[in-house]
Amino acid sequence: MSDLVTGIRAQVRDLLARRRVEYVVGYETGSDGVNARPFFAYTTEEADRLVFDNTCTHNLTKYLVEPERRGSTIGVVVKPCDARSLTVLLAEHKFPRDVVAIGVVCPGIVQRTREGGDGEAPQARCQVCDQHTPPACDILVGEATAEGPVLDQFARLAPLEAQSAAERSAFWSQQFERCLRCYACRQTCPQCYCDECFAEALDPEWVGVRIGRAENWLFHAIRCFHLAGRCIGCDECERVCPVKIPLGLLNRKLRKEVLDRFEYRAGTRSDERPPLETFRKEEKLDLA
Amino acid sequence: MAQSTADTPRTRAGQVEPTAIWQPRLVGFLCNWCSFAGADMAGTSRLTYPAAIRIIRVPCTGRVDPLFVAKAFQRGADGVLVAGCHPGDCHYAEGNYYMRRRYVLLRDLLEFLGIERERFHLEWVSASEGKKFARVVSEFTSQVAALGPREPPRQGPTELEAGTSNE
Repeated sequence: MSDLVTGIRAQVRDLLARRRVEYVVGYETGSDGVNARPFFAYTTEEADRLVFDNTCTHNLTKYLVEPERRGSTIGVVVKPCDARSLTVLLAEHKFPRDVVAIGVVCPGIVQRTREGGDGEAPQARCQVCDQHTPPACDILVGEATAEGPVLDQFARLAPLEAQSAAERSAFWSQQFERCLRCYACRQTCPQCYCDECFAEALDPEWVGVRIGRAENWLFHAIRCFHLAGRCIGCDECERVCPVKIPLGLLNRKLRKEVLDRFEYRAGTRSDERPPLETFRKEEKLDLA
Repeated sequence: MAQSTADTPRTRAGQVEPTAIWQPRLVGFLCNWCSFAGADMAGTSRLTYPAAIRIIRVPCTGRVDPLFVAKAFQRGADGVLVAGCHPGDCHYAEGNYYMRRRYVLLRDLLEFLGIERERFHLEWVSASEGKKFARVVSEFTSQVAALGPREPPRQGPTELEAGTSNE
């Protein structure tokens, strides 16, 4: 058993024994014996089922925004990227500050298919990760490590950015054509929490119920824009997509522009307003 | 002998025949307090500008949800113009500052999705700037016309490619 697992279990047992939290959202080993899955620990006995390893891909902060959980004091196990999510959600007042964040120093998460055959290569987000120690957590498990040099997180955009508008339009047409509008990308995203989504609004019917190219295009364009300056880059939308649409590219593009124009990175600082929620009168941006 | 006129040819039903020259379809979101009044000023001053633009009046540019713009493009608009009060002159004090930030990011995203940045334009036009409004619409119309018609998502290249391969 790794030190991380021992550390998490000890902390959670303590939190539950002291009744500091009602329950803790963490990970346990799934029924395939390999991959982790979300797990809710209510008792100190259940705390001993918690694990943490390089298959803990889910962003558990998603559970915190579910309406039925508002009002409870909850503990949650967070990786550094999930901790950024939590910062965004707290800044947006999605729940009062009664969450106990158990931050884990993250070794990086591996790509795995459901069959488990995809090997131990790190996920794309982990290859460009520059934050292995979670920021702003109540409890830290693991040794804080020095951050090494990483790959350029926006390198993946370059080939598409170099193309002409017509080529990009054709590229996205092909991608969105496959979309089933299962809304898995939305459901998994901790930053997507509207009570009524524009995609399903019937009056006015913005998107249209038809699963067609035009409707799919509109859904993805706006879904992505709603995350402008809010996306923390966990790429879970892309991972859960059953038809493998590279949604991470869209979010990454907006993250890049937000960083370039407003020097803002979602979830890294709690004292800064998100870029679309504020303005500076004197800024010209690049307008005439 | 009938004298040929420069009038647009008409069918028997009296409708205007589609001309060979393609005209872009533009949507303009104008703020009620400045740019809509500016457009009014252009009209009462008898200034001409291309009829390619369909104007939608909004209370403020800050009311322009990115969804409006994306919806216009989805339904086949060739270009979208957003016009409002000059910075500092917003009727609601700061609506246009929010739109300014939203605009630059939305333009970046649309460009990444394959809609040229020249098709989406933000302009400040005050209530007294009728001339400026006419000029802005003329320039924007020719700018979009130069790009040509946009492929709406429903008629994307893949469908066309699939069509030719079946023949």
